[in-house]
Order: sequence, then structure tokens, then C-alpha cells
Amino acid sequence: MKKRNLLRLGAALSGLLMAMPALAQELTFWSWRQEDKAVYEELIKTFEAQNPGITVKFEAFEATNYNTILSTAVAGGTGPDLMMVRAFGGLETIASGGYLMPLDNTKIPALADFSPAALAAETMRSDQTLYAVPFASQTQFVIYNKAIFDQNGLKEPQTWDEFIKLAEDLKAKGVIPFANGTATAWQNETIVGALVSSIYGRGFYDDLMAGKVDFNDPRYVDALAKLKDITAYFPDGFIGLDYPSAQQLFTSGMAAMFAGGSYEIANFRAQNPDIQLGVFAAPGIKADDEKLVAIYFDGGYAANAKTAHPEAAVKFLNFLASKDFGQVFANKLNNISTVPGVTFDDPLLGEVAELNQHSIPYLMLVHFRYGEPSGSVLLQGEVQKLLDNQTTPAEIGKALTDGLANWYEPFKK
Amino acid sequence: MPSLRLTGRGMWITALLVPPLAFVAMFIVYPIISAFAYAFFDWNGLARGEFVGLDNFYKVLFTEPYASWTRNAFGHNVLVFFALMVLQNGIGFILAYCLWRGLPGARFHRVAVFLPVVLSTIIVGYLFKLFYHPLFGVVNISLKAIGLGFLAQPWLGQASTALWALIVANAWHMVGFPTLVFLAGMQRIPGEILDAVRMETESEWTKVTKIVWPLVAPSATVVFTLLFVGAFNWFELPYVMVGLDGSPYGSTDVLGLYFYRTAFGNQSSAAQDFGAGSALAVLIFLFVAVLASILTTRLRAREIQI
Amino acid sequence: MTTATATKAASYDRPGLLSTLGRDGLIQVILWANTFIMLAPIVIMVFSAFKTNAQIFASPFSVPDFTHVGNLTKIWTQTNFLRYLLNSVIVTGSSMALILVLGTMAAYAIGRYEFKGSGFILMFFLAGLTLPLKLAIIPLFILMRDFGILNNQLSLILVYVAMGLPTTVFILTGFIRTLPNELEDAARMDGASELRIMWSVMLPLVRPAMVIAAIQNVVPIWNDFFFPLVFIQNDNLKTLPQGLTSFMGEYTTDWGVLFAGLTLSAAPIILIYIILSRQFINGMTAGAVK
Repeated sequence: MKKRNLLRLGAALSGLLMAMPALAQELTFWSWRQEDKAVYEELIKTFEAQNPGITVKFEAFEATNYNTILSTAVAGGTGPDLMMVRAFGGLETIASGGYLMPLDNTKIPALADFSPAALAAETMRSDQTLYAVPFASQTQFVIYNKAIFDQNGLKEPQTWDEFIKLAEDLKAKGVIPFANGTATAWQNETIVGALVSSIYGRGFYDDLMAGKVDFNDPRYVDALAKLKDITAYFPDGFIGLDYPSAQQLFTSGMAAMFAGGSYEIANFRAQNPDIQLGVFAAPGIKADDEKLVAIYFDGGYAANAKTAHPEAAVKFLNFLASKDFGQVFANKLNNISTVPGVTFDDPLLGEVAELNQHSIPYLMLVHFRYGEPSGSVLLQGEVQKLLDNQTTPAEIGKALTDGLANWYEPFKK
Repeated sequence: MPSLRLTGRGMWITALLVPPLAFVAMFIVYPIISAFAYAFFDWNGLARGEFVGLDNFYKVLFTEPYASWTRNAFGHNVLVFFALMVLQNGIGFILAYCLWRGLPGARFHRVAVFLPVVLSTIIVGYLFKLFYHPLFGVVNISLKAIGLGFLAQPWLGQASTALWALIVANAWHMVGFPTLVFLAGMQRIPGEILDAVRMETESEWTKVTKIVWPLVAPSATVVFTLLFVGAFNWFELPYVMVGLDGSPYGSTDVLGLYFYRTAFGNQSSAAQDFGAGSALAVLIFLFVAVLASILTTRLRAREIQI
Repeated sequence: MTTATATKAASYDRPGLLSTLGRDGLIQVILWANTFIMLAPIVIMVFSAFKTNAQIFASPFSVPDFTHVGNLTKIWTQTNFLRYLLNSVIVTGSSMALILVLGTMAAYAIGRYEFKGSGFILMFFLAGLTLPLKLAIIPLFILMRDFGILNNQLSLILVYVAMGLPTTVFILTGFIRTLPNELEDAARMDGASELRIMWSVMLPLVRPAMVIAAIQNVVPIWNDFFFPLVFIQNDNLKTLPQGLTSFMGEYTTDWGVLFAGLTLSAAPIILIYIILSRQFINGMTAGAVK
């Protein structure tokens, strides 16, 4: 009798033990957004409430090391179940090793309504497979301190000359016009996209994509010359000023403008909750030149191909593609969510979305990170040289074209 | 001493030797040999592809963009080596001599000179990065305070000063080491020789150049060789102070950064390439090993002559 | 003091007091200037840890109000500093223990017994001295993955032990070879086993060399950054130098906190060094001076 009871107990326990993994599944979720941790954890709680038995653990890493950390972990078999991945060339680094779970409309029905451009950003070119749910678009433009502008009676400039005059006025009044520093390499790329997209213009972009021109084109070269001109209004010693210090100059109110990306909005508000922000597209030469911002898709959420909990992972991805998530993402994290139908409580984001109607892609990140040397690395280095008076815009055009010709077919002669 | 026998003692010696040998074999010898082997394959992320012979080596040495990156980085390492030879070993010798004189306070100075050496390179790197900040760093603020404000510049942001800024930081960190090695060498010079010299000449300069310097040759060998190896394997300090790309625009790029970036990838670049990375590692290793051996042999020969 | 210096100097050279004082004066100037250069950055670092941003920018050299410990408490309580410190202690301690045990074993075998191949084995260990293990990071990474210990402190310990053995064996072998035979022979004649001889008779004599070997290894292991960077991703497992980069990244605009982080990270080793400076200096230069 006792023995039978004991056996029953044992069977029940082992049954319970076997069922337990199915009941309580823990997924790990990696990201490079250390700044967004609190909001993600809130969102995760919502998901966990809707899906009992699944818990998600969010871990964030420094952005500059994230790619390396992720690829070494994933390749080492210690990667997370879910992860944020970059887009375009940055995606292919991880996807090409077969480390990501392929996604489609059957797994995640919400994908059917996403914009084709967003989905293309997370699709690997070689097998035309989607590997991540895109989460946000980012825009490179000029962010400014509304209070400073109002105090000095300044308005958004309509032409390049007005832009320069604006900076002059600020300097005369003792305000640093632009907070930007270029010691941190990737900032040299953002200022190109943010400040002179309207100068090289849509015509150049279309011709470049059609293979008719390369970076030696006078429109691009002239844009770089204009970039050099306007850096006269950057802080003293800006070539030695790193990214965090530049942000600090802006949030402390010592500088009026910051040429950078929409991802800065959340950072700035966190560093200084009282700051009033405005955004505008840097103007072209003439008043009727289209005022453009540079746009790109930042990244997506992907699942590990070798995850131990594929169904749970897919459930979470569906949650991340849902409108509920998109709303919180937009409103609490100040991002332009790619989830269709999301509305923006914040009028500033609404402005950003409007500016996005007149945009061209953020050139190097979107199109030129597929081979070595990457267009981004080349441009960053060349712009640093330009700002240190070691090269000219024309030479940069040549350096970019020749460097990219190593792998970019249309440039190969 | 008793000699080896098959039973008992033989087993005992084997038991003593096998564990440590196994460690060295598995975690040093095997990886180094593998590193050589990996360079001959093509890699897809961390998945090994097909055998490609010397392709990776060829790529890294002769095809653009790698070839100019390699030359650029290598050139910087050479510059760093010679600069540190003067700033670290040179000053180290002078300081060792000063300490050797045994003046009051020498003991305190000895402790002080070695203090930076025990700090982690990471701490030194971050500390100097803060000091070199163009607006808020102590260096520029001090220059402005003593009226030399025109000298204040973005030390880490300009190609002309960035590498030297790193070199100075490294010299500060490490000068204590050659100082104490030279000092130990000087202290070993037998008293009789010094007394004999004193009979011959009153010139301190002659004493130092003709007697002390040759007699500390063993210390010099060690210090030169270690500096050579260190200069070409430089990684942590530049990584922390200027980042993986050798900002500004590659002017601080060195072989260590270049290797790590190629093998493990970087924020704005394209995919990582273990094949090219391994080829680089092999080339760096061969260069350092061969030259270090030559250097040591020639310096050793110099020692024996005395 | 002048007289003492003069007397000492007189035993060195003939020349008169004046030029001696001149030369010695110059030497003192050099030494004091150097000590100032060596210590100033550290002093500035510690001072700044007690200041606010505004104070740092306005008066970087002034002595701060040492009761203003806000920055230090921030690092202590709001970051994983204690955890990083603990990890460093664990990793360094375990590595040291294993290095000493294995190193002594090998050094004893090579140093006390004559057998064919002993020279070769010693060379084998010494070759490890010149090999920069950093360049074999890729195969090491793959090896650790295959063992399943990536993102595990064991991967660090194994690598540090392997890296530390060559110098340890080198130092200990040299020392062990110089130990006298009499004690050993006597014990052997008494019928003691080899193990007994090593443990009770010879090892106690080797202790001074073991201290040197320990110090020679402790500093590079404690300060290492490269291997944790590649092997460890989990924040809770990071060692102190690696963890330092985390909070340097988190507080980039708060300079007081940054300096506090640097100060707290440097404090353990600086304190130990000041207390044990002589052993440190002996230990770290021992391998270099034969």
C-alpha cells in the first residue's frame, strides 16, 4: 500500500517536473537601448499578464559594443532567445550565419500591414527572407532648443544663407549655435545626413541609385563644402569633443541646436525634463529646394533560430508587432514606431512624422554597409579629416567612390 | 640528485608534471597552433568554411582596403615603439640612476614611481581621457589658467596630437617598470668595480657611460624586449581612449585594434571576418616573435662581451 | 643633513662640496619632479571624486570637502560595483591558487630531479613567456564555446592559469634549484616518500619564491580587461576593469561620479601596494632580473 502511494507520488511529481518547463518558460531578450530599460520592463509585464507561463528577461548592453557582443554570443551558442538587431547591412552580419529565425505573415500576421520599406530593411537580400520585426524609423535632422530660439526671436531657416545667419546671430549673442562634437566617429556621419541632405538633394540620390553618378558628383561635393562652412559654428575644439559631452552642451542650454537623430529626443528629455524641443529639416540653397531629412530604419526584433522556446518567442514577437505595443513604444520611448496605425500623443513626434514625408534615405547606413570598407566607416574618417583641414570635399568624393568600388558593383570600372 | 627510474619515482615525477603541462598545452600551445591553422580557411561568422590557402594573408597584405589599413597600423606601432623607447626606457634609466645615488628620500621616490604601474590600464586610459577633454579636462584648464591658453587643443580629436597623447599616457603609466629594473641592475654592480672606477676618474659621466651602462646590459635586454613586445601588442589603452576605429580617422589605429576590429566587428562596419583576423594575428605574431628573438640574441651577445 | 650628504658624497667622489651638491641637487629636483608627475593625476582623481561637476570644472586642483561622499555612494549602491569587485576577487584568487599549486609541482619536478628531457620541458614552459595569448583569442573563444564555459568565470580562470604558469615555473625552478640537498637526503635516508619530502621538507623553504610568483601574477590578472571583454557578457559576472566600462558609460556627464568610479576601482590595488610595496616591487621585477 505504502509502496503504491509512494509510486503514485513519484509519478505525479515527475509529471509535474516534466510539465514545468512547458508551464514556466523564461525568454532572454537583449537590446542596446540601456536608456529604455524601464519602459521595456513595463511592456514585458503587460505581455506576461496576457501570457501566463512565459517570462521575459530584458538585458541591455552598451550600443558601441552591442554588435560584437551579440555576434560572439550567438556564435558561441550562448545567445539570447530574442534580440534587437540592426537593419540593412547590420542585419546581414547576424542573419547570414543562420542564427536568426525566419519570419513571415503566417507566424506574425500583423506583418502584412507594415510598410514595404520597413520590411525591406529587415530582409536579407540573398534569400529575400524577413528576419526581424522592424521597430522604428529614425530621422536625421536639426533639433533645437525652443526657449533659446524664442528668446532671441529666431525662426526655422528657409534657405542655407538664412541658416548661416541664424548661427551667426546666436554666436553674437553668446550662445553656442551647434552643440555637436566629432571626436566620436559615428557623429561625423550623422551631421552629413542631418545638415546637408537638402543640399545634395533628391535628384542626386535618385541618380546615385540609378547608377548614373557616384560620389564625385558636384552636388555631393558641394554639400560637403557647405558642411565644412557650417562647422565654424560648432563649439571650440569640437573635433576633440565626444558624443556625451556634446549632448550635455545641448541639454544644459549652452548650445541652441543639435544636428542628430530622432533617437536623441528621448535622451535629451531624460537628461533635462524641462527642455522644450523643436525640429526642422536643414534647408537647401534656395527657398523652394525640397527640405529633406535623412531617414532609415533603426532595427528590429528577432528570434534566435536555436531558441529552446520557439512558440513562446513567436508569441512575444507578435506582441512586439501589435498596435498596443507600438502605441506605448511611440509615446513612452519617443520613437516613430513602424507599426501601422500608431498615433502620436506627443506633438513633437507628430512633427517628426510629418517631416518624414519629405525624406531620402540616410545614405551610407542604408545602402553602403554591405561590404568592406563600409561607406559609413569611410565617410566618418573622411569627414574627420575634412574638419581637421587634412582633405578637401573633392578628394573625399574620390576617396568614397574608390573605397566603395572595392565591393560596390556600380562603382567598379 | 637521484635519477629517473621507471617505477615509483618516475610515476611521481610524471604526476607532478602532467597537470601543468596539460594546461599549457591545451590553453596556450593548442590555441596558438589553431590560430595559425584558422588563417588558412574562409569563415562565415564563426562557422568555418573551406580551405583557401594563403588567400587571407594575401588579402590582408596586398588588397585594398586592408593593405593600407595594415600599413597604417603597422607604421603607428613602429612610431609608438621608438617614442616609448625614449620616453619610457630612456627616462627610466635616468630615474634609476637618480634613485641609485641613494639620496635621502630615495625609498619614497621608489614607491611613488612604481605606483602608476600597478593600476589597471583601463583606469589610466579613462583618467587621461578625462584629463584631455577639450573643454573640461585638467590639461586645457591648466594651460588656460597659466596664460598658455593658445596651446589648449582637442588633444584626442586631432590626428597630429592624438597618438602622442596616448603615448604620453602610456609613458606615465609604465615608466616605473624600466626604472626599477635598471635600478636592480645597477645595484648588482659589484662594489669593487665602482671603487676601481673612482680611482681612475672623477667624472660621473664617464662612470655612467663606460661602466654602468654596459654592466646593466641584462636589464636593458629585458626592458627593450618587453617594450618591443608591448608596443606591437598595444590594445587596451587605445581601445579605452579613442575607441576601436583608431579615431580620428585612423590616426591612432594600431595592429591590436585593427586585429580585434577585423575579427570581431565594429559598430559601423560590415561583417566580421575571422579568416582575415586570424591571418593578421599570425602575421603580427611572426613579426614580433622573430624580431624579439633577434633583438634578444643580439642584446644577449652584448652582455657576454663585457 | 648637509653633513651626512657631504660625508656620503665624499666617499664617492673627490670633487668639492659645491659641485656635489649641484649634482645631487639636480638629482633631487628630478626625483621630486617625477614623483609629483607620478602622483598628481592620482591625487586629482581622488580629489575630484568628492566634487560636483561645477567644482571640478572651476577648480580642478583644489582640495575638496571630503565629507561630500555623494558620488562614492552612488557608485557603491547604484551600480554593480561590489559585484564586480567580488568577481575580481574570485577570479584572481582561484587563478592564483591554481597557478601556485601547478607551478610548484612543475618547478619541483624540474628543479629537484634530473631526468632526460627536463631541459626541454623547462624550455616548453619558457616559450609560453613570449607568446602573446591575445592573438590566439579566436581559437580560445571557440575552445571555450566547445567546453560550454563561455560567459562563465571558469573560462577566465583557465586562461589566466595557462598564462601565469610560464613565469611561475621559471621563478620557482630557479629558486628550487638552489635549495640544499642535505635535508632532502636525510629525509630520504629516513625512508620518507617523495611526497612527504616535498610537502614537509622542501615546500616550506620555497615560500619566499612563491610570494614573489604570486605578486608577479596577481597584478596582471586583477587588471586584465581583454579576456573578460571577449568571454563574459553577463553583467553579474564581469570583473572590475570590465565593469568599470559599464559605469563609465552610464554616468558620462557626471564627472564627479566618473572620478568616484575610477577612485573606487583603483583603491584596492593602491592600498595593497602601499602596504606591501617592497614585495610588490620585488615580485613584479623578479622575472625581469635574473
